[in-house]
Amino acid sequence: MKKGYIYTIIFMLLIAFVFSAILATTNAISKDKIKNNEALLEKAAILSAMNIEFTQDEIIKLSENIVRGNNNEFIYYQLEYGTVIEKYAIYFEGAGLWGTITGYIGVSNDLTTMLGIDFTYQNETPGLGGRIEEKWYKDQFKNLLILNFPIEYGEGIDAITGATSTSNAVIKMINETINSKVSKLGGIQ
Amino acid sequence: MISEIKTVLNRNLWKENPVIRQILGICSALAVTNLAINSLVMGIGLMFVTALSSFTISLLRNYIPQRIRMIVQTLIIASYVILVDIFLKANLPEISKALGPYIGLIITNCIIMGRAEAFAQKNPPVISFFDGLFAGVGYTVILLGIALVREILGFGTIFGMVIPFVKFTPWTIMVMPPSGFFMIAIFIWISSSIMNKRLNKEKVKK
Repeated sequence: MKKGYIYTIIFMLLIAFVFSAILATTNAISKDKIKNNEALLEKAAILSAMNIEFTQDEIIKLSENIVRGNNNEFIYYQLEYGTVIEKYAIYFEGAGLWGTITGYIGVSNDLTTMLGIDFTYQNETPGLGGRIEEKWYKDQFKNLLILNFPIEYGEGIDAITGATSTSNAVIKMINETINSKVSKLGGIQ
Repeated sequence: MISEIKTVLNRNLWKENPVIRQILGICSALAVTNLAINSLVMGIGLMFVTALSSFTISLLRNYIPQRIRMIVQTLIIASYVILVDIFLKANLPEISKALGPYIGLIITNCIIMGRAEAFAQKNPPVISFFDGLFAGVGYTVILLGIALVREILGFGTIFGMVIPFVKFTPWTIMVMPPSGFFMIAIFIWISSSIMNKRLNKEKVKK
């Protein structure tokens, strides 16, 4: 079956067009859904950084009282009822082993305690560095006194075996965030 | 038809198993086998993509110009992988988050292109679909086997659940990348020795 140049070019154009069209359509159809899901994951991360227990259905309702904090230097959210601020969640990002790691760190309203941590994006090695997403790892950073910072691995906090770089990157990000941002939260205390 | 499917099944699962006989798809076999659940999901993704891309390539096999067939195959495979990615993001966001990097990695799996080149190009669509599917099954079975050994010895768990009654110090080396090489080598070794024994017996009979 000998086929000429013209046929080859037309065939390639046609097949590229058809498959691009299929992908573009699917993308357009699911775009809103994906955005929605991402927003939901973001809200869930803020809630769990603040150490608030929730089920999948409660995320939207619980997030109603979470408001973007007023600060030009960095992004943070606060859980407030009327004028009373209950908890803070500070956004952080930094370099992991393979890519950027982003997430939230929760801080109590009197700025004395780190409440917890959750990640919104990470690209670490699955099964090794990727295990920072596991509950046991994140739970280690719950209710730590900010007085004791900077923290390091050892007593009470375990790094992940086989993922030293990722573990170190995470603890560095936590220390930096707590060190540089907590004192600037909420203005006057 | 059924006997054809059986031959394809037997070939992909054992005689020409993509991982231990053809030594294809090794990168991912090394990378994702420290947890069984990761291997399973990667395997399911690969089954889906290989089956459908083989089917599509086979449908188009008489129209694809020889000169550009590889580009066309890559385009089709990539399209299916992106479809899987979008589907997971839209409908199963939790799984999509956990698997982030894997989905893209499916594109680079040599098994898909291997099946397209070696089988789908010359055979009708339905049997190509099964060939792709079973190649994925063959890959998944081996990955799960390796992953179970590594997870049990390395973490003391099966699919994330702690093994009851038995207590031992986990072998950290089993979680690390080098043990992937050891385990794959052992699997290849075992399968080759069984295969050689059978071949020898057949020769004696003749």
